[in-house]
This record gives sequence, C-alpha cells and structure tokens, in this order.
Amino acid sequence: MIMMIALLSSTLLQAQTVKVEGTVGDAQGPLPGVSVLVKETSVGTISDANGHYKLDAAKNAVLVFTYIGYTAVEVPLASHTQKANGIYTVNVTLNNKENNLDEVVVVGFGTQKKVNLTGAVATVDAKVLENRPVRNATQALQGLVTGLNISQNNGSLESNPSINIRGTGTIGNSSSSPLIMVDGMEGSLNAINPQDIENISVLKDAAASAVYGSRAAFGVILITTKRGKAGKLSVNYNNNLRSAAPVLMPKMMDSYTFGLYFNDASQNGGSAPFFSPEHLQRIQDYQNGTINTSVIPNPNNKLYWADGYGYGNANVDWYQTMFRKKTLSQEHNFSLSGGSEKTQLYLSGNYMGQQGLMRFNKDDFTRYGATAKLNSKVTDALSVNYSTRFIREDYNRPSNLTNGFYQDLGRQGWPTLPLYDPNGYLFSSPSPALGMAEGGKDRNQTDYLYQQLQLVLEPVKGWKTFGEVNYRTRNDFRHWDVQRTYNHDVNGNPYVYNTNSEVYEYAYKENYFNANLYSEYNRSFAGKHFVKLMGGFQTEMTKYRNLSAQRNGIIVASIPTIATTSGTDANGVAVAPSVAGTYQRWATAGFFSRLNYDYDGKYLIEANIRYDGSSRYRAEQRWNLFPSISLGWNVAREKFFEDHVSFINNFKFRGSYGQLGNQKPADGSTDFYPTYVTMPVGTANGSWLINGTRPNTASAPGLISSTLTWETIKSYNLGLDWGVFNNRLTGSFDLFRRRTLNMVGPAPTLPSILGTSVPQTNNTDLQTTGFEMEVAWNDRLKNGLGYNLRLLLSDYQTTITRYPNETRNLSQYREGQKMGEIWGYTTRGVAKSQEEMDAYLATLPNGGQSPLGSQWGAGDVMYADLNGDGIINSGANTQDNPGDLRLIGNSTPRYTVGADINLDWKGFDFRAFFQGVMKRDYWQGSYFFWGATNNIWWSTGFVDHADYFRADANHPLGQNLNAYYPRPVFNSSKNQQTQSRYLLNAAYMRLKNLQLGYTLPQAITRKAAIQKLRVYFSGENLLTLTKMAKMFDPETVDGGSGGSVYPLSKVYSAGLSVTF
Amino acid sequence: MNFSRFSKLSAVVLGAVSLLTVSCKNYLDQPPLSSITPDAYLNEESQLGAYAVARYTDILPSHANWSFGTFGYDANTDDMAIPDLDNKYMPGLWRVGATGGDWDFSNIFQVNYFLQKTVPNLQNGRITGTSANIRHYVGEVYFLRAFEYFKKLQALGDFPILRNTLPDQQAALVAASKRSPMNEVARFIISDLDSAALLMQNVAPVGGTNRISKRVAQLLKSRVALYEGTWLKYFKGTAYVPKGPDWPGAGRPEGASYTFPSGSIDGEIDYFLTQAMESAKEVASAVPLVANTGIILSANNENPYFNMFSAEVMSSYSEVLLWRQYNKTLVTHNVPVNAQAGNYAVGLTRSLVESFLMANGLPIYASESGYKGDDYIADVRANRDGRLNLFLKEPGQKNVLLNLAQGSHATEIEPIPMVWESSYEKKYSTGYAIRKGLTYDAAHCGNGQGYTGSITFRAVEAYLNYMEACYEKTGSLDGDALSYWQQIRARAKVSTDVNSTIAATEMSKETADWGAYSANRLITPVLYNIRRERRNELMAEGLRFMDLKRWRAMDQMISTPYHVEGFKLWGPMKAWFTSSQLTYGANVNNAVVSDPALSSYIRPHEIRSNSNSYKGTRWAMAHYLNPIAAQHFVITATDGNATTSSIYQNPGWTTTAGSAPSGY
Repeated sequence: MIMMIALLSSTLLQAQTVKVEGTVGDAQGPLPGVSVLVKETSVGTISDANGHYKLDAAKNAVLVFTYIGYTAVEVPLASHTQKANGIYTVNVTLNNKENNLDEVVVVGFGTQKKVNLTGAVATVDAKVLENRPVRNATQALQGLVTGLNISQNNGSLESNPSINIRGTGTIGNSSSSPLIMVDGMEGSLNAINPQDIENISVLKDAAASAVYGSRAAFGVILITTKRGKAGKLSVNYNNNLRSAAPVLMPKMMDSYTFGLYFNDASQNGGSAPFFSPEHLQRIQDYQNGTINTSVIPNPNNKLYWADGYGYGNANVDWYQTMFRKKTLSQEHNFSLSGGSEKTQLYLSGNYMGQQGLMRFNKDDFTRYGATAKLNSKVTDALSVNYSTRFIREDYNRPSNLTNGFYQDLGRQGWPTLPLYDPNGYLFSSPSPALGMAEGGKDRNQTDYLYQQLQLVLEPVKGWKTFGEVNYRTRNDFRHWDVQRTYNHDVNGNPYVYNTNSEVYEYAYKENYFNANLYSEYNRSFAGKHFVKLMGGFQTEMTKYRNLSAQRNGIIVASIPTIATTSGTDANGVAVAPSVAGTYQRWATAGFFSRLNYDYDGKYLIEANIRYDGSSRYRAEQRWNLFPSISLGWNVAREKFFEDHVSFINNFKFRGSYGQLGNQKPADGSTDFYPTYVTMPVGTANGSWLINGTRPNTASAPGLISSTLTWETIKSYNLGLDWGVFNNRLTGSFDLFRRRTLNMVGPAPTLPSILGTSVPQTNNTDLQTTGFEMEVAWNDRLKNGLGYNLRLLLSDYQTTITRYPNETRNLSQYREGQKMGEIWGYTTRGVAKSQEEMDAYLATLPNGGQSPLGSQWGAGDVMYADLNGDGIINSGANTQDNPGDLRLIGNSTPRYTVGADINLDWKGFDFRAFFQGVMKRDYWQGSYFFWGATNNIWWSTGFVDHADYFRADANHPLGQNLNAYYPRPVFNSSKNQQTQSRYLLNAAYMRLKNLQLGYTLPQAITRKAAIQKLRVYFSGENLLTLTKMAKMFDPETVDGGSGGSVYPLSKVYSAGLSVTF
Repeated sequence: MNFSRFSKLSAVVLGAVSLLTVSCKNYLDQPPLSSITPDAYLNEESQLGAYAVARYTDILPSHANWSFGTFGYDANTDDMAIPDLDNKYMPGLWRVGATGGDWDFSNIFQVNYFLQKTVPNLQNGRITGTSANIRHYVGEVYFLRAFEYFKKLQALGDFPILRNTLPDQQAALVAASKRSPMNEVARFIISDLDSAALLMQNVAPVGGTNRISKRVAQLLKSRVALYEGTWLKYFKGTAYVPKGPDWPGAGRPEGASYTFPSGSIDGEIDYFLTQAMESAKEVASAVPLVANTGIILSANNENPYFNMFSAEVMSSYSEVLLWRQYNKTLVTHNVPVNAQAGNYAVGLTRSLVESFLMANGLPIYASESGYKGDDYIADVRANRDGRLNLFLKEPGQKNVLLNLAQGSHATEIEPIPMVWESSYEKKYSTGYAIRKGLTYDAAHCGNGQGYTGSITFRAVEAYLNYMEACYEKTGSLDGDALSYWQQIRARAKVSTDVNSTIAATEMSKETADWGAYSANRLITPVLYNIRRERRNELMAEGLRFMDLKRWRAMDQMISTPYHVEGFKLWGPMKAWFTSSQLTYGANVNNAVVSDPALSSYIRPHEIRSNSNSYKGTRWAMAHYLNPIAAQHFVITATDGNATTSSIYQNPGWTTTAGSAPSGY
C-alpha cells in the first residue's frame, strides 16, 4: 500500500511556472496567516498582515487555501486568466466553518445539510477534541454539547464516564445510555483513538434517532472517523507529554487531634475513651520526636507488635501515603493520508501510556490503536469502502485496588495506625498498604478488532444502495493473583499475615455481527421541490462466552499462574478450584424507512418509521413499530426576510415528535433473558463446610413477570436555529419533553409474606423536560486577532408520572415526584448549652426528639418541629404525612454550562474551556462527611472534622461553641439525620482545558519540508470554583464509596504536532 | 434511467428483504444457553442436598467473624454483659420499626419452594438417587422450616402458617398474612419436626454431624415443645396466650372463634410438655455425655469436655449432634482470638458466677459451703462446680500451649482484666471472662483467621429439657430425670446429691438470677435448681434469653431496676490497676469504671450518668414479644390505613413507626 501512495504522489506534473498573487480574506476583511499551497507539492506561502500573498506555481497548478476554523478552498489557476504582466491574480474569500450553512451533518444512515435539519442534532468538530490530555474521547466531550451529559465520578484508570442524553431516561432495569455508532456500527466511545475522529453528531430527539429503533431510545452519538483525502501524501505526527497530580484529596487529622476526637465521640456516647491517657501520651511523644517507635509490642504476647488500632501511635496521612503526588504519561499519534481521486487511504497509529496515582504498587493504563481505511471507486457505479481498526487496552492494578479500598482508606486509615513497624516493615493489622503493596496484581487486556465493509452502488444518479457488513470481536483476558502477605514480629522475622494465595484467570469473547442493507433516492423537481427517500433493513447478533478458573496455593510467589498452583489451602488441604463458563446471545432485527421533503429550503419535513424485533422478549411481545415526524420552517428564506432583514441569514423553527422503544439491559448487565426463569446454582461455594470442603448450593428461582415487554419512549422537541450578522452570531434553542412509558420500573411493594423479591413489571412512567441553548460569536478583528466564543446552557428535570406506591411512601418513588428529591429535617441549630437544649425540648411536649435518639445535650442538633405536633419524627414517612420531614433539596444537576473561548493571532492560539453545573444539592451522609459516626469502625477523621462542637473551655483543642459539626457521638446517629444544615452544594465551575499553542510560520518550517508545526501546552482541571465540603470533589461526591474515590487528576501537558 | 436495471436491482433487494423477514422468526428466539431451568432441577439426590445445605447458614446459628461467635449470644442477659445495654431493658427506647424486622419470610419462601416441589416427587418416586439419602435431604428441609418458624415463634408469637409459596398477588398475600395462634404455630413446628425425624437417619448419610440428623430434629422438638408448654403455663391469663384477656387475635373473626385443639389451655400445656419429655428422652437415652477429666491446661487437650467446644473437628464428640466446620483458607472466624482476650467485651456476670454451686453441691451462701469469697478471682474458682473452675479465666493462666509463633493476636498469658479499655477487642466488661471456646493452639490466633468448629446442637440440652419438662408437667422428677441430672452433675464434678442442694437453697438469696422468678414471683427451690443446672451447663451457648422469655422471668424488673454487676473491682483487686485505669465518676468525662459508691462490684452499664443504662436494667411487659414494623400493616391494609390490615400488632405496641409501647 505504501508503494501505491508513493506512486500516486510521484505523478506530479512538471510544467512551466508563473507568478501568482492576490488577497485572502473572509466576510470581515483580509486574513493574515492563511496558508496558500500549491496542491500536491510542498510549495507554498502564508498571507501577510494585509492578507496579501505571492508565490510561483505551475500554470496548471491548483492552489489550496487553508486556515484554522475555515473551510479549505481549492482554486485551479486554469480558471483564471493571466494578466498582461504575466501575473495571475487570485483573490479568495474563505468561509468560517462554524458559520457554514452548507455544512453537511452525519445523521442516521446518511447525511443532511445542517441548514435543512429538522430534528435536534448537535455536532462536534474533531478540532475541539485535539490535544486534550485525557484518557478517552468521552472525557474530552464533556460539556461540549448541550444536552449530552457526561459525568466521571471516579478517577481510577479503568472507570469510564457515564453518558446520557437529556437526562434520566429510565429508572428501571434497563439502560439510559445513548447508542454509540462508529462509522455506522455500534461501538465504544472509550475504545477509540480520539485522533481518528473526524466529527461527531449527537442525535437528541426521537425524530433524529428513530431510524435506529430499539437501540436508540435515549439518543445516538454518531462518530465518523477520518478517511484518506485525495492528494499529496500527508503525514502527521503529534505527541503529548503529561504530568498529572490528584486534583483534590481529603486531608487527615494529625494523630493527636484524631485521638482526642475519637475519645470525645466515645465519651459523648457514654463509653470509655478509646485512647487511654498513656496511649495519647505516646501519640504526642511520637509527634514530638521523643519516641520513634510507631507501635509497642503486644502486652499479651511480646513476640509481636500490638494491634495497630488498639496500640498504634504513628502519625500517618493515609491519603498522602497511598497516592502519589505526581505521575507522568505520554501519548503519540501518527497518521498518514493520501490517495488519488479514485482511491484513498488512511492509516493511523496511536500509543497512550498513562500512569496511575497508586504509590505502593503501580497501576497503569495503556492503549494501542491502529486503523486502516481504504475507499475506492471501483466503477462509476460502485464504490467499495473497507476499514479495519484494532484497539488494545492494557490495564494493570494492584489486586487490592477495588471499591473496598476507597471505603477502607477512611475507616481503616487511622492516623495512629503505623504504616511501617518500628523495624521498617510494612505493617498490617489490617492496613490499606500491605495488601496493596504485596497482595498481588490484577491485569486486564482488552482487544477490539473492527472490520467494516461497505459497498455503495449508484447505478443512476441520485439512487444509492448501501450494503454493509460489520463485524467486531472483543477479547478480554484478565488475571489476578492474591499473594500471601507477611507481617514481621518484634525481632523482624516474617510471619504470614494473609495465608491465602490464589490465581484467577478469566477469558471473555464477544462476537458482534451487524448487517445493514439500505437504499436512498433523491431528486429535485422544478428546482424547488426536493425529495429524498430511504429504506432498509438492519440486523445485529451478539454472542458472548466466558471462561474462568481460580485455584488456591501459589507455589512460587513470582510465578502466579494457574499451572503453578498447588490447589491446596494454607494447611495443605486440597481445595476445589472454582471454574465457570457461560454462553449468552441476543439479536435484533429491524426495517426502517425515511422520507425527506423540502420546498425551496423554506418548508422542511422528515418522517421516519422503524419496525423492530428483539430476542429479549418472547414472540408475542417481540415486535414493535416506531414512527417519527419532524417539520421545519426557515423564515429567513421567506422573501420578506431576504428583502428587509437581510442581516438575518438563518432563522429556522423546528418541531418534532417521535416514538421509540427500549429493550436494552442496564449497562454492564448480562441479563439478556429477562423472561426466562432460571435456577441459581453454585458449585463448591457453600460456606457451611461438609467434611471440610465447600458444598454445592442452590436456591429458589426468582419470580418473573409473564407480561414483561418494551418500554415506550415518546419525545417532543421544539427548536429554533439562527444565524445573524453574516453568520457571526449563531445559535440554537431547543425545548424538549420526553416521556418514558410503561417502564420496567422498580418492583412494587407487596406484603412481605411473599418471601421473595417482587418481579419487575412494566408499571412506571416518567417524564423528562428541559431546554438547551447554544450561542456562538465568531469574528476576527482588523489586527488579525480571531476570536470565537461559545456558550452552552442546558437543563433537565425528571418527574415520575406513574408508580405503584399508593401510600406515597417517601422511601420509594412517588407519582409527581421529581427525581433527585432529598427529604430531610430542618436544622434549627446546634445547642450551645444543655440549658439551650432543655429549653428547646421543653417546647416539644409530646416526646421531644426521642424518636431520633436520647441523651440530648450541648452540641446536639435541634430539629425544627415543622408540623407543630410537639415531637420530631417522620410521621408515616409518606408524602401526605411526612412528620417533620420536608423537601430540602434536589440532587439532579441543574443548568449545566459550558464556555469555550478561542483566540488566535499570528500563529498563536489560545483556548479556555469551562464546564460546570450551576445548581445541585447533594446529601452525602457517609462517614467521609461526618467523620465520627455511630460506629467507631465506620468512622474517620479529616482536618475538616476538627471543627466540631466542644463545650469544655479547657479542651486541648480549645472550646468551639460555634462549630460547623455537632458533637461527635459513637453509638448514635441522632445528629446525623438528613437535614438542611448539612446539605452539600454540589454546584461547580471547572476550567476543564486551557491550551496555548504556537504554529511556526510556514516560511520557516517549509525549509524542513514541514507543512505545519505546532507546539502547545495544554492543561486539564486547572481551576475549580465550588462551595463543596473540602473533602469532596463536586464531580465525584456521588462516586466511589460514600464520596471517597480515586481522585480526578489535574494535568499539565505539552506536545507538538507536525505535518509533512 | 435504465428501467430494466432498476427493476433487476429492486428484485434483488426485495428478495433479500423477504428472505431476511422469514429467517427473523427463529433468529430472534434466543433462550438461555448456560442456565438451568426449574424443571431440570431438584430431580436428583445431590441437587436436593445442595439446596438444603445452602439454607444452613441463613437459618442456623454458628460463629460469624469479628465477634465472640455463638459464645457471645447470651450478651444482654443476666448471664453476660456488654458495655451497650440493649434498648429492650430501657423501656421507652425500644420502638416500632418503620420497615423490615422479624416479619420476614425469605427463608420460609426458600424452604417452601423446595418442599412444594420435592414432596410430591418423593411420594411418586420421581427423584433419582438412593432413597434413604433423598428422604434425608427432604427431612433436612422440614427441619429447617421448623427452625425458622421457631425463631418467629419466639420473636412474635402468633404467626402465619405457610406450607406453600404464594402467588405475587396482593389479595392472596393479604389473606395469607393472617396470624395463627402461637400454639398452632408450635404444633406446626412439631409436625414438621416429626416429618423430619421420620425421613432422616440418626446420622446423616453424607457429612456426618456436619449435617442435620434425626437426633437433631428430636432435640429441637423437645426445645420447641418445652418453650411453648412453659410459655403457655407462665403467661396463662394474659394477652400473651391465645384466648387470654386482651389477646389481640380476638379482634379478628378467626381468632374470636378459635378453640384449642385439646379443648383448653391446660390441655395444650400438657400436650406440649408431654411432647417435650418424649422427644427429649429419645435423644438423652441414646446419646452419652462426653467425659470431663477436669484438666484445664494440657497441650494435648486430654479433656474432651473442654476440647469439645473448640476442636477443629468435632465429629468424635458424641454430644455434638450438629456442628459447623471452618477452614483456614475457606471460612474463618475470630472466636479463638477473642476467647484468649476479653471475650469481645462479653463479660460473665457476678450473678452467673455466683449461681454455680460448690463442688460439694451446696450454694455458696450455705454455712457449710466452704466458699472462699470473691476478693480474688482465684478465690471465686476454689472448690467450685468443676465447670466454673474449668471455664472461668484467671489472670496468670496460660492461654497458649501450642504454636505460639503462629498467632499474631494470641494472648499467651491471661492478663489482669482490662476493664479500662473501650474497644470490644480489648475490653473486659465485667472482669470475669470465660475459657469456653478457647483453643490452646495459637495457629487459630491470626486476626480473624480462626477455624475451630462451632457447635449448633449439643445433646446435653435434651437431658435438661427432660428434667424441666418432667417437673413442669408432673411437679416431681421421675427416675430418668433424676438420672440425667446426676449424670450432668457427675460430669461437672459436683456432688450428685441433688436433694442436699435443694434443701440448702434459699430463694431469697438467689434474686440476682432472673430465672429465680416467674411472673414476678420466686419459684420453688426444686424448680430453681433445675433451672440453675440448665444455666450453668449451657453457659454462653445462646439459649439464655429464650429461657428467660418462656419462664416470664423479667416481670420483677418492671418496677424495680436490676443492676448488672461483674467482679469485685473495689475490693483488694483494685490494687491490680493504676489509678488512671480506674477513673470513675458519674460526671467525669473520661470515667472508665463505675463508682465504688454504687457498688464494690463493677457495674458495666453504670459508669457515666449520660448513658441511658445508668439507671439500671428495667423491663416492660410488651417487650416479651417484638413489635411488627409499621410498614407491614400499611401494605396489607386497604387505603394505607393500618387498622384495616389483616395483621394485628403484639400487645402494647402500636402500628406507628418510632413509637414506644404503652399500657404494657
């Protein structure tokens, strides 16, 4: 193939050279810095400050004018006449891409002119994804499209952001995720080289996505990847070197403060202090450097160090200890594009190596990607397109880096717990570190191989038939081993801490097959009527299988493979290996058709219909029909507008209605057989041992509803697009309403005597409403400063409109309830003295605050008696009788905003991209928020928690009557009820990306045969504005375990991009 | 346009489409490929065994990790105390739950699914395998249903009797939610246990005493029958028995018209006590007691009676009818670590320690007893019942005799009781700690890595059940009863002269023992000594609260608070501690022990006045039965009005979440 490219590029025509000059500009005037290149040569120049340029070219040459953000223009010299002085004058006006109404947008099974769109479709140009030091394209997309909600609530290397379009689609056991299509085939937005992406279309309403039927109930993201361009071979290399640091981490109390804090919590709960005076003294001595042993020998067994919780006196900040302050990563991309008019080729390669933040045992993520795409016009009537793409992802982590780690980091990471014993060995009793460091590795490798073949037949102009066969295989291999770990006794001799050692191997294969056959015909009549008809068939089949085995007894620690395990436990007793293997399948089939009609670009209409079948339901409920229609009226094309308000270039009203079905299982679920009853059986997994070994087990099957069927989604959209002042000011506004009907909702409550889970049925409706607005201003000043400002704002709210909860119980969904509602008590304040509390309780004659706890005193919360019944309680816990509970907030992210600012001037470019949520409440009642809770083993102490109520004027930490936190009390949750005072404000604004680049003048780079050379600096998450409690990141407060997560990263990166 | 070309292509497209349509029908039929459907299961012997054994851990008691296992179940009785007194002893704090609670049927659903499917097949011979084994496994599930129902009987009394699974239909479920009178529930349990005994063998065909057997069913039957018989006897004339005054069941049509199967409540009492005696005798006469050599410390564990409670493999002890096995790699617990330390803060009470007789058979207060007093723990143990001597730990005793180097959390030498500590891992709540369940092998003393067995049923209970049922039924002890008693006392190294014990017993000196009372009255010395034997033999085996309930032994605390006490801290033993270890004072923030002004014995619940338990242990009549959570009334009612529910609440409790009982 390389040879072929070489041949193509060597067919340069040698001819006589002539002089060419002229001015380049856009609608506003001359443009400096425009690249003018003689096509298929390296000859070229750049326009000067006045937009003038001069160069020499062959008489039959074609000039290519390119400029960032503008559509390239090709001008053959042959179309101009030579002046008397022998000079060609070629003046060119470039069109800003952003403002270009002729722009074509990819839609389902075809394309559409942007100006003629009637559905709610947004597009993203690959440019905005460039040079973002992120792990995948999904992260880079966050905030770029109104209504496309992307949230990443965990920073660990394997966690991918969750995506939805226009908010919550379903609360049932099915997926709210959009369908992701890569070049017409279902794929992943995470497992793709972001640099291969040419553009992205987001289909938001049912009218736009109906053609995809049951897979597209909640919108579609269409990704089109780059293809080879006819012309001179172009080679691009770019890289990116990154340094990442945790963006936000909790800070732990010092050990002495922690000891006092826990003692106060014990004492307030009526128990003895946890840390004895002698123990506290040791803690202080260690902090002061008077002693340097972090723990004492066990008083009952002098051979060993004493338990780290009961006796440790170290001073460790476990967050600082477990995570590194800085890691380095890199990314390299290479691409090659070129070809003739008939055949084009695109090749690309990508390597990304990202280091994680774990200190004791590396975690890292690597992606390798390779793509080849060949487009060929075999005959005038037949084109063949073929592409193959291979992606490999390697993810390695310590076996102990599971969700339990985030949880344990707080509750086990007491500052007093020694990291190392006095001899310098990692010490566990237990501790987050030893198992992490020595407990084994977890390795994952995922390979994706995509093969796509497309035949396009166009026997007559305007009638195209597409035959597509897509095939994807995904192979996962996973290995983890659990290694025996050792503590060391007082004399430094190792002894086994965790006796268990085992190896687990897992293999998974997914075969996805998809065939599409569709045909379109378009024709215009009398120059005013334009008709396009499309119809076709689509089918998908996915087969999964997996195989796993796990066996105990690693013989040699450094060789953890199944073959090198003994199959015995720590005592040498044989343990049955655990082996599993399953098969699964699902399939869909659908017929679809679309009609487009427009009258002179003024009146637009589109209608879709799809008839879909899914293997998830039995024959009677299997097939479903989904219609949609959308209309548009471009007022700017009316004669009145064209004559009188010509500064308005585009003013289009849109309206749509569509109906879709949802049958997709929840993300990550493998429940492809919801209508079949199956027995839960387990092999050698019982925990009541029989003759020393695990027995097989079985349980009763769950109940299955016989009437399970599709969810129906009905979606309405009203929109307005505008372009004003020569399309410098553009924008759009959309209002939508989406109803999810007959949802497979959470099961209703039946009398407990049933004894098993109530089966889910189609019993629930919800409705999501919202709006999206986008405004952009795009201009260039006379001095050559180009600037572009884009503001995005969107919002949605979901309301439950039907749910089987007749009593309107607050612990379940209720009809009329908005999603995310937080019900809680209203805090009157924290009593500063026993007298204040007693006086308050005296106003509550019917039981005071006793339903919430006892022993009310100074430093406890006073809850407001909102229903005036003289007792603080939750009534019947129903909406009609909520006692003193009230709606105090809502956790739905409201008013999602994005602001994208771009500047360029004389080769410099600058970008600042902000993303944020303007309103969101969150109730995070975990011990990470509270510190000390009702259970000492589920408590922690961060510096923020030190601001707790202390009445004692002689307290070593000082009196604190105006504390934020009430007094801590072990053994009681009385102060930690859901309540107004401790509701968190999760609104934030974050500088997601800041980029500064410089493109070297071509006059210089051309000498090195370089078409373009850009160097840049790019930063992620550099600035966050929020009122969130300090131990949480507003983006991850709902993630991990109680808001404790692997932190997101602040990234500084630099790189270069060079095109030959 | 070339029309012929167009039509040819159209034909191809149409043809392809119609072909695809036809093939779609089968293409979209995708049944599960690697799952088992219900018709294909429970048709073969081993499948029955797998289903039955999966229920064991959900239903039967055994050691769980990070606790003192079954040895700590008696915490919050007059036998054993933890620092946190349960709300049931502080009237006003125990409240009706909003959701959940004992009104739960998930285990019952599991066993009913099995029985409903396999019993007809068993009768038709449609299950493959050895008949005896198949019958045994079906018997196990009958037993498990009985055990689950017995838990419900104790917690709630009257309870719905379900023999089958129910459809997921509101009306049917509401109808089935009606509570049956408690004696009917007990009769249902007994009938299940009779079925279980009939189907099972004396020893399980596979797994030996790791699995349920006929003997276990007989033992449980005696327990259930004794429970119901004594409950009806002592609660007779209250709302706590069917047809009693204010019995809430009378408010329902089926309750109002209820008649006892035997005609009267006395007939019921006699029926249950007779059943208890018969089934207890079947076990007691067949299963000999394990020998006690009296040896406490022996590396080779020569004392079977001591070793029985902490052996890795318990099959060789005749008395252990059912036990759970653990394995260092597969399933572990932390009982050995806690047995060597402070028993996970579950402390033995002074009341229990003092209830043990002297080896000569006399109570400690008897003039000839030879009791050395309780100034030191060594004195307390001297010349006492061999069981106290064996199982009460004394500072300075060795706890580890084997593999010391393998146990990072071993306690080699019993320390002075660490009463000043606060964490359960270290704390000695009462100063008295037990040796029951302790193993001298430190290989079990990695943190949370013990794997000694856990006893679920021990045959000596049948001896005790027989004695008590016999006396409660007939008012005297027959020859078998006397023989069983003497066998137990001989094994305990106590004089077998039970009559001299009875003669020396003064009930006015036994008032620290809740079991000395029934319905607020002291019982007779004979009955008291039967109960004393039971208390001492079954110390820390998780049956105490059940006994106290059926004896109605808490009424006396309704008006007079009881004070749980431990060892005599404020005697000479206070010299063992530093002054900061003995910080005290009701209003002293960092107080760790109780004030000597209250008592010279440590009072684990009365250290600081800001704790709810500071005023002592009290009781409310309503607390004999648990409340049913509020939600259950609402979801079985019409229009969410709890009063229309098919379920009625237990006496004294309301149907409002968060409310304390009133009137009882």
